[in-house]
Amino acid sequence: MLTLAFDTATNVATSALVDDGEVLGERVSRASTLLEDVDALLRQGGAHPHDLDALAVGIGPGSFTGVRIGLAAARGLAFALDLPGAGVSTLAALAAGAPGAVPVVDAKRREIFTLRDGEPVVLAPAELDVAAGTVCVGDGALRYRELLEAKGAIVPADGDELHLPRARFHAQLAHDFGAVEEIEPLYLRVPDADRSVAS
Amino acid sequence: MILGLETSCDETAAAVITEDGEIRSNVIASQADLHARYGGVVPEVASRRHLELVVPVVREALGDAGVTLDDLERIAVTQGPGLIGALLVGLSTAKALAWSRRLPLVPVDHLQGHVASLYLQPDALEPPFLCLLASGGHTLLLDVRSHTEQHLLGTTLDDAAGEAFDKGARLLGLGYPGGREIDRLAREGDPGAYAFPVARVPGLDFSFSGLKTALLYATRDLSPAELEARRPDLAASYQRAIVRALAGRAQEAAEQVGAARIAVVGGVAANSELRAWLPGAALAPLPLCTDNAAMIASAGRYAEPVPYPGYLGLDAYASR
Ligand SMILES: [Zn+2]
Repeated sequence: MLTLAFDTATNVATSALVDDGEVLGERVSRASTLLEDVDALLRQGGAHPHDLDALAVGIGPGSFTGVRIGLAAARGLAFALDLPGAGVSTLAALAAGAPGAVPVVDAKRREIFTLRDGEPVVLAPAELDVAAGTVCVGDGALRYRELLEAKGAIVPADGDELHLPRARFHAQLAHDFGAVEEIEPLYLRVPDADRSVAS
Repeated sequence: MILGLETSCDETAAAVITEDGEIRSNVIASQADLHARYGGVVPEVASRRHLELVVPVVREALGDAGVTLDDLERIAVTQGPGLIGALLVGLSTAKALAWSRRLPLVPVDHLQGHVASLYLQPDALEPPFLCLLASGGHTLLLDVRSHTEQHLLGTTLDDAAGEAFDKGARLLGLGYPGGREIDRLAREGDPGAYAFPVARVPGLDFSFSGLKTALLYATRDLSPAELEARRPDLAASYQRAIVRALAGRAQEAAEQVGAARIAVVGGVAANSELRAWLPGAALAPLPLCTDNAAMIASAGRYAEPVPYPGYLGLDAYASR
């Protein structure tokens, strides 16, 4: 099964072309050039768009705009090529790439997205409970390195690929393939306007 | 066949037109009701809705036209200006569709899209003409020389005309979008009841912010009962001031560049008083006045298409 996987929820776009578990290629760029990466992956793999069997797409949490760029691309591809797909949490992909580590995505506004008891949550960085020696990965871990290290956490070097939600892990974690239009973004936060209307 | 896609503000739209400018389908999913409770368009709310609607709207546009993606020669999509997060939903979708079929993509400027609404059949207008583009986001005067060449003559220095309508409607306690509400109420009022001034700015530019302040002064000391009673007069006078500025400047501009025709596009072109003040003007049909994708596809007939794979890294832009 030829699976195209990508994630644009963080400040990088990751993508991978995976054939029955074998990674044929992987790329990292920005959300605006996601389709360039997709094109390059298929060329490199000697495949045509119609050869694809499934999509695995990152649903966040992360940048709202970034998540939408990825999901819009996935929905467009699925519609044009009649592909099934599966959504994969960006935090889950990060965690899969760094077993034992705590995934931390920058949520902006001095907050982070992370997993608590396996559930995605939004927290202030200071609220994150980490035992001494815990490894923290992701762009949120980089942004709050000082704070996390003061708590005793270990944050790998800035350029370490452990900080990337690499799309090979989306392909690996993807299951229950279905209609891509039904894959929902994981925003975790309501729009600001709704907060003020509600209050 | 050309597929057009438009997601720059609060309408999710897709349309199919022929190379001759004949509309085969024109699907517009308006989010106006969604934004009404905020009294204006909320970018994050709009972007979320675009993502939910964009593929269903494309599917419907193709279905209404009786075509599939295989029948398309190119895809035209709004690249800007507009709400960046909203634009990116349409652009990302369009890139994915075009890439899947190796189709060329035409990135379209939203404002040129509005002008191109005039090039659609059955009453296609031929340049040259003077174009007044007035909407919730823009107010400009363009010297349109050809399908691809236009010169900006004037623009608003502050609020757009449609924005002035929305803000006025809010001060009068009317609903959103404000243009339609004021237009309706103004028919019962006396446009000469209040002398609302529109700032005379140099050249061919517009300024509407002082007008809004004048309305605020006129309404703030009124009791709820008085406001209720004077509301039609206030709406009529306020509308008259906006329309007089728009129509007056459009005529000045037409004289200056020697344009024989004036055309009006954008949401404010639906205003009945503006239509009355510019009797000889070419007007886009009402469904093509507000944001739609047929106009984007229409602009896609004239703008340079980007062949595969040149468009895969295109980004949207919020402003020019
Ligand atoms: Zn518009």
